[in-house]
Amino acid sequence: MGAEQAWLLAAIPAGVFFVLAIFGRALPRGGDYLGVAAIGTSFLLSFFVLGDLLSTEDKLGPITASIEWSTIGKFELRQGIWIDPITVTMFGVITTVALMVNVFSIGYMKGEPRYYWFFAVLQLFVASMLMLVMADNLLLVYISWELVGVCSFLLIGFYWEKRSATEAAKKAFITTRVGDVGLLIGIILLWKATGTFDIHGIIHAAEAGQIGQTYLFVSIMFVFLGCMGKSAQVPFHVWLPDAMEGPTPVSALIHAATMVVAGVYLTARLLPIFEVADGALLVVTIVGLTTALLTGFIALAQTDIKKVLAYSTVGQLGFMFVALGTGHPAIGMFHLATHAFFKALLFLGSGSVIHATHHNQEMEKLGGLWKKMPITGTTFFIGSLALAGVPPLAGFWSKDEIFVALNDKWGLWAVLILALAATMTAFYTTRLFIRTFMGKPMDKHVHDHTHESGYVMTGPLMFLAFLAVTAGFVVFHSVGKGLGLPGGITEFIFAEHHGPHEYEIDWGFAAASVVMATIGIFAAGWMYWGNSIERSTALAERNPGIYQMFKRKFYFDELYQAVIDRGVLGFSYVVSWFDRYVVNDTGVDGSAQITGFSGGVLKYLQTGRVPNYAMAIALGVVGLTVAGLVVRG
Amino acid sequence: MVPLENYLVLSAIIFSLGVYGVLARRNAVLVLMSIELMLNAVSLNFIAFAAYLDPGKITGAIFAVFVITVAAAEVGLALAIVIRLFRNRATSNVDEAAIMKW
Repeated sequence: MGAEQAWLLAAIPAGVFFVLAIFGRALPRGGDYLGVAAIGTSFLLSFFVLGDLLSTEDKLGPITASIEWSTIGKFELRQGIWIDPITVTMFGVITTVALMVNVFSIGYMKGEPRYYWFFAVLQLFVASMLMLVMADNLLLVYISWELVGVCSFLLIGFYWEKRSATEAAKKAFITTRVGDVGLLIGIILLWKATGTFDIHGIIHAAEAGQIGQTYLFVSIMFVFLGCMGKSAQVPFHVWLPDAMEGPTPVSALIHAATMVVAGVYLTARLLPIFEVADGALLVVTIVGLTTALLTGFIALAQTDIKKVLAYSTVGQLGFMFVALGTGHPAIGMFHLATHAFFKALLFLGSGSVIHATHHNQEMEKLGGLWKKMPITGTTFFIGSLALAGVPPLAGFWSKDEIFVALNDKWGLWAVLILALAATMTAFYTTRLFIRTFMGKPMDKHVHDHTHESGYVMTGPLMFLAFLAVTAGFVVFHSVGKGLGLPGGITEFIFAEHHGPHEYEIDWGFAAASVVMATIGIFAAGWMYWGNSIERSTALAERNPGIYQMFKRKFYFDELYQAVIDRGVLGFSYVVSWFDRYVVNDTGVDGSAQITGFSGGVLKYLQTGRVPNYAMAIALGVVGLTVAGLVVRG
Repeated sequence: MVPLENYLVLSAIIFSLGVYGVLARRNAVLVLMSIELMLNAVSLNFIAFAAYLDPGKITGAIFAVFVITVAAAEVGLALAIVIRLFRNRATSNVDEAAIMKW
């Protein structure tokens, strides 16, 4: 297989989706093995694609293939694929995480209703995400973008018997939709200026200065609106924590490999345009910083383990945008990859806990599970350290890169904000770990019935834990070379203007990074050691206002609800007035009354006397004749 | 040969008499007869024009035959209605048969 056939990566899971959706019910075990086989095939094929890419002249590709889709007048629409280092990195991340999630789901979803449907949609989800990352034009990007949104809607609302699940699914869909409208507008604006949907055609046009500055800035901001919605950046972040209503493997998939990283990917893909448009990078940076900081505060006060992880994802996505805001796609993609591995690990680990404790995900009832679940506990510990940014785990290297690049581009103020966010990340991750796995159990009954999950669930955990430890090393030149890449990840993916650069440890930032992680970890340890909540409760009671603000997520939901209520009710009032008085009373009843009235008057013409009719006919003929003569002159 | 105008004038007179009959008469049978007058005036027109403008052909005559056929059918139907009217209302006065109204 050549990389030109890379579309197969998406086509195989998509095909399996149809097979499972139609025949899944009848297949033994709901056809889950077909799902694993499909994703497994894509996983293997992604290595062939990588091999093909590395065998091109400068090992960077790109390899492209496209077909003519339709021609309208002079406008030719082509659909095709574009394989370059960014695409291949995304392939690796998506297929790896998806494969692990698929295997894990066999254990986690066992005995659930609509088991086959879960696996079917999972395939479509992965397929659309794979299509998204290899699309060479914005139209295909948009189509896959929406497909990803639909799949996340279906999976978040998987337990549709639960009202909260359907609400969460709707919220996710509608919130991202707000951004998607922006994306569509952005795509149309870019198309209008350049006459093409082709991503690289647009980038070249923008770099050549064929698009006006203001126009370019506005259109790329609309595109970025879509990225913000999909990647749950403030103020669109509200849907992601609610998306926890879906089955936990779905959360892992959404948070690590599909859906939320779509926005990061698209921003990275279009980063040259952001660089050309003055100020766009600053917007990206500020959005990322705001998100990282706000969600860090919110996560401090959450007690649902999945919610904490959800807010940490939003925060880490903020880190990725900050990285992209420095103009280095490589660093954003690098953090995306490392984050995907350890966040998938953490989510699957929390899934394992939830499964083992019979759907308990409140920290208030957990604690002391490490002894009961040694594998889950240990892998979760590794994942937590990686998220906290402890060297030499994956999270450390990518965060470090972000700090260095951020300092170069925007200076110390941005670094300090992000450092605060990173410290809080370390804090709440440690809190999460202690309160779930260490100390005394909060609820003895739950604790007694807990047991370690089977190998089908712990296997993926161990594999992901391995990646969470090692994935960060690809930043080094020698490791990259050893894997056959042209060098470390920053030499593999890079923006053309900046060029590849070999990674060197900046000891100052590395040390600062370690200090931040240590402060966060020890602060959390001091506060919660032995799963004691006395100190934190006391702190919360001393500052009730601040605590409530974090706990209630800065009142974003309340604000939106109020705005929606006011806005929707006000608007519906106007609409109902219009409907009642204009459409109904004037339009419908009015025309009926006119007809009735004229009928009432005109009916007296019908006398029933034949001579009257005959007279009317005769007079009519005479009248018409006279009129004809007059007109003829 | 008699000029065409004579036929046309005659035809117009007969047609006008028919119209007058239809409008003035109250007896349904006489109204029907007046309608026949109008139809015959039209037929006369057809024949006259045919004979003067296109003597070799019988186009006008065919129209006249059609008019006569249609008139026969119409009278058959109309007289049947008049008979029913007379049976039911004991009158053939068109002014009195005025129940088909609002």
